Amino acid sequence: MESTAPTTQRPVLARAGWLQRDGLLLAALAVLALFPFITSLLSGEAVDQGAPKFFQGLLIQMFIFAVYAMSYDLLMGYTGILSFGHALFFGSGAYMMGIALKHLQWPLLGAVGLVIVVAIVQSLIIGVLSLRVHGVYFAMVTLAFAQVAFLLATATDFRQWTGAEDGLQGIPVPALVSPTDNRLRFYYLALVFMVIMYLLARRIVNSPTGRVLVAIRENENRATMIGYNVFVFKMIAVILAGVFAALAGSLNALWNLNATPTVLGLDMTIEALLMTIIGGVGTLIGPMLGSGVLTILGYWLNATFGRNWLLILGVIYVLLVLFLPYGLVGTWRRQSARFGPGGWRELLRRTRS
Amino acid sequence: MPQSLSRYRPLLISVAVVLAFFATLSATMEARIWVSILLSGLTLAALYFLLASGLSLIFGLMDVLNFAHGSLFMLGAYAGWTFYTNPRVIFNTAPLFLALFAGLGLARWTHLLADRLPRRGLGRWLGLAVVVLVAVALLTLGFQAFPLDRLVAFGTTVAGRQVATAEAQEPLTQGLTRLVLLFLAGGVLSLGVGSRDVRQASAGPTSATTPSTLRAVGLPAVLVGLSIVLLLVRDAGETLMLKGLPSDLRFLLALVVGAATGALVGGLIEVGLIRPLYARPIYQVLLTLGLLFVFDQSVKAVWGPAGAFMEIPAFFNTASDRCPSPDLIAWLSDHCNSIMVLGRPFPSYRLFIIVVGVLLLAGVALLLQRSRLGIIIRAGVQDADMVQALGINVRRVFTLVFALGAGIAGLGGVAAAPFVGVNPGLALGFQLPAFIAVVIGGMGSYAGAALGALIVGLARAFGDYLVLTGVQLPGMSQALKASPTVANASTVLIMALVLLIRPSGLFGKKD
Repeated sequence: MESTAPTTQRPVLARAGWLQRDGLLLAALAVLALFPFITSLLSGEAVDQGAPKFFQGLLIQMFIFAVYAMSYDLLMGYTGILSFGHALFFGSGAYMMGIALKHLQWPLLGAVGLVIVVAIVQSLIIGVLSLRVHGVYFAMVTLAFAQVAFLLATATDFRQWTGAEDGLQGIPVPALVSPTDNRLRFYYLALVFMVIMYLLARRIVNSPTGRVLVAIRENENRATMIGYNVFVFKMIAVILAGVFAALAGSLNALWNLNATPTVLGLDMTIEALLMTIIGGVGTLIGPMLGSGVLTILGYWLNATFGRNWLLILGVIYVLLVLFLPYGLVGTWRRQSARFGPGGWRELLRRTRS
Repeated sequence: MPQSLSRYRPLLISVAVVLAFFATLSATMEARIWVSILLSGLTLAALYFLLASGLSLIFGLMDVLNFAHGSLFMLGAYAGWTFYTNPRVIFNTAPLFLALFAGLGLARWTHLLADRLPRRGLGRWLGLAVVVLVAVALLTLGFQAFPLDRLVAFGTTVAGRQVATAEAQEPLTQGLTRLVLLFLAGGVLSLGVGSRDVRQASAGPTSATTPSTLRAVGLPAVLVGLSIVLLLVRDAGETLMLKGLPSDLRFLLALVVGAATGALVGGLIEVGLIRPLYARPIYQVLLTLGLLFVFDQSVKAVWGPAGAFMEIPAFFNTASDRCPSPDLIAWLSDHCNSIMVLGRPFPSYRLFIIVVGVLLLAGVALLLQRSRLGIIIRAGVQDADMVQALGINVRRVFTLVFALGAGIAGLGGVAAAPFVGVNPGLALGFQLPAFIAVVIGGMGSYAGAALGALIVGLARAFGDYLVLTGVQLPGMSQALKASPTVANASTVLIMALVLLIRPSGLFGKKD
């Protein structure tokens, strides 16, 4: 009698393993999916008005930044490549989307295709040039490239395409995905976009290729000795991160109906870093969580401190780098590995293998 | 002979390229035009060098790439400009910071208390929270309602800001209260600085010796005394500064103030923020990038997002009917705004920038080659651990070099201010070319930084000229014109070329 209970339970658990593993994620997803209606119930306003509409806007921005931050962590957290020019991809994605819709008058799918192709070409150029140097050199060189892109976007020579300092204003977004026509639809579009990108990223990270990327992060020389062409794998990481960021950027252009030079600026790169470090380097959930924290924190700081909120954000960033280098998820995992019951199991597993 | 030839190959190649470049110039352009562009290029190169040399030295010695170096340049520029246009600010703000540092200097005593604080569990976090809260409260009280906007901004060039006036002065008692509060805040903060964690993370093996009582008490006492004296002589001092000092002397002092600001901030960054992170190099870089952002925002918060022009000191800006001076000899008595160079006027202040650049190039080279400190620095670039093993406190040399590089950057900022003005864009605007210069020259090489800066400066000047006059390519009906922004951006092409051919830079060690 006593021994039957575990035997009947075990197969059920094994079958529902994914439910147990991803239960928290699924619950979060359910909350996000129902969020517009929950806020509507709580505030007593219609889904497409007032507070619910405002919070949807906040979350849409958060979803976009979540994908952007995740793409950054593919580079920094998983492959160990420190890039300070990630805004280049995000901003180019935004500009390409805008140019394709406004000036070329392409359909949406064509525009997305253009964004992806341009991102791949850019990543190839940046990769071929910058991957010749390592570590902080790479950071410096990518920063230089991104700043050049920023300068070119503000240059008056390309005003008819980029709008110079004013940026590309009034992008004609197809009615199907227009955030002004139907914000709720755009909310679900952004949510679905984020979920798809997360699943894709998780598949990549857990694939053999993803394992090689982690191996490069841990010890590049060893990966070379084993026989991997490190350059090719790093290039793959740069391209993947570039395409992910460009897609996030293009959605950002749709959401804001514009693309201004700020999406190419250094602040944008710092934002990616901030989200990744707040959430936890080397995880996929971390940067997404970081984007949530940053969006809410940014909103609150902006409301409380006004003009100087970015200064406070910068100070928070410096303090995080000094005192919480593993971020929320990383610190939580370390703490639970030290104390929690699940952590003990993890520790035993590690010592055995 | 072949060995020495291969050693100097990059130098020989660059000399050959430069010679070929000038041969083309003299064949295609009038001498008076290209000489004046050359001088403009040298001006820029001198400023870039002031940044690139520090970047390269710091990286060479301690493997830290300081992404906040441009910010130090900008801070120097703002400090120098503020002092130059409104010297009284030093009497109002310096005592406050001196008192804060005096409090921090108590760390040698307060660590005895800090060691008694609970080091584990809830108590540790509680203690930390109390320390932080008390420090923040004291700092807030100390700086509360500080009339910063009336003290810092000066002149009509800053839109919407009041001109600094005597009414901005607070009663002496209020100033003294601020001093006491900030001294206490520093003392509380020193609890954190003196805690065992930070000491273990930052102290080199040699600093375990107990300091003498004289040093432990002396430094804070001197600082407190100085701050009180500064506050007391405030009124007399500002009359002297504003009315008694000619603009040239004030400018010289502004250069000193800029360099001191850079060195001080740089030194503090190294000791307080970078030192605890030597075990995690990536985080050092992340930190300096964060500092770039923080300084950018704080400059905007203190001085406003708009920029301002800085007046050129009278020594380079005396109007007379003999201007522009026909030559350098005549200029020495005229001090005109510009000097005729081959029949074209060239601003004399820019020549001063070139002189500053050359003087510092020579000065630091002398320091590196001929002084004991220079020997230690060069040895440290080779192998810092070995130098440490020989009984030299390498950590202190790290701080010194960081402060030196930052000080040079700060000086460069003040030198640049009358030429380009002060604005929050200075930091990145000058850091980008300095980065490119360092990549071209090779990280960690002093000569490389100089050569890289020269190349980038000349490329900027000639690029600007080319895009403005237009490039006539064969098969095109119209000359190709562009804005200077494009010329600015195209300097990155040189970097791309160097990365393709020689990723370690012209003088860099192969990795």
